[in-house]
Amino acid sequence: MMAPRPYALLAEITYRCPLRCPYCSNPMQARNDGELSTTEWTRVIREAAALGVLQIGFSGGEPLVRRDLAELVRAAREANLYTNLITSGIGLDDNCVRALRDAGLDSVQLSFQSNDTDLADEIAGARAHQRKLDAAAKIRRAGIPLSLNFVIHRRNIDRLAQMIELAEMLEAERIELANVQFYGWAFLNRAALLPTREQVDRARETATAAKARLAGKIDIFYVLPDYYEARPKPCLNGWGQRYLTVNPVGEVLPCPTASSAIPDLRFENVRARALDWIWRESESFNQFRGTEWMPEPCQSCPQKEIDFGGCRCQAALLSGNAANTDPVCELSPNRAGVDAVLRDLNSASHHLPAWTYRTNPKELLVGHLP
Amino acid sequence: MHTSTIADTAQPRLARGVRLQTDSVTGNSVLLFPEGVLELNETAQEILARCDGQTVSEIIQALGEGYDVDPEILATDVRETLAGLQRRKLIELT
Repeated sequence: MMAPRPYALLAEITYRCPLRCPYCSNPMQARNDGELSTTEWTRVIREAAALGVLQIGFSGGEPLVRRDLAELVRAAREANLYTNLITSGIGLDDNCVRALRDAGLDSVQLSFQSNDTDLADEIAGARAHQRKLDAAAKIRRAGIPLSLNFVIHRRNIDRLAQMIELAEMLEAERIELANVQFYGWAFLNRAALLPTREQVDRARETATAAKARLAGKIDIFYVLPDYYEARPKPCLNGWGQRYLTVNPVGEVLPCPTASSAIPDLRFENVRARALDWIWRESESFNQFRGTEWMPEPCQSCPQKEIDFGGCRCQAALLSGNAANTDPVCELSPNRAGVDAVLRDLNSASHHLPAWTYRTNPKELLVGHLP
Repeated sequence: MHTSTIADTAQPRLARGVRLQTDSVTGNSVLLFPEGVLELNETAQEILARCDGQTVSEIIQALGEGYDVDPEILATDVRETLAGLQRRKLIELT
């Protein structure tokens, strides 16, 4: 099928991060054979703009650990891209905010773990919450639009209303309340992170009410917990349709979690190939593009161009084959596995395990964090 | 918000963090904002190009000069478009 034009590039500029969140979506075995240089990223940004990309998200890891971040933001603005920084806020001092604003940064998405310090720091595995509050104030003072991003899971889902209050207090324009999706470290820690059905029902009501109350004031984006849904999420709006990710070592991915979830797919690298060729011609981008690859029950399903068969990474993780229907779909022959997970978790005898904190690959550890 | 609550004298402006620019692929205008791209139809393009301090009634009048349509239908169209953009926090009314 003909390749459409992409709209957004996720630039994962480093896997290094001072936080240890147990739901990190970075690969558990991150490759460490050399991050792309400033020059290489600048070329990738220009090639992405030429392909039609309009938005770039600088992410990681923690993008602020790269000293050339402002330079990359400037390159993106010069290529006419809308620039988002997706950050923990750790390392965002006054000089840094000023440099980013002067480079033309359009928006900051600041992650929070909870609304209260003790729980937030326990989840992050670091003393981070107060530094995030300070970072929010600095972003506000610089006049840069602010979104608060929360990953929602079993330990913080009951505090949804208070988290929304925090966003109001910090005068954020937008809140993303994303129920944890199970890839990377989150998949490893699923039994500790997946909320109960009761929690999910209450959270949905809270989010719906807050959305109505804050309409026109704060934009609330609520990401559903897909294990509890009957139909899968329209992952990426279809594989190779709108989004592409470039990871720290230059691999180009249709989805940021694909490199670890679908190990048998071969990904191209911007060091060897032009981005345009990778987007249009590569096997990895064409493998699940369109609808021809779909098996039953997707192939004859009237929803197939609405949910695109769900998520390829989830199909790979839960059924062993990325080309299967997403197992969260009630029509999937593998749905029973998801139901078994939910049944076990919601049973009275369920024992809540401790989670494993994310670790930086040793070779990527930095001696000095900003 | 009901469309009739937008005053004639209100001045719509792009909200903070929202950019209006030309998409080099299509040649059309797009609105860019955190995590979003909105491809604009012709009416929305014409309206947003005037969200620079002009009042709602001035915008309606200016569009009326360019199009051969019923002025009441046009006014409703403009108000509905503005209300939709305001709900999504893409414009602010001052």
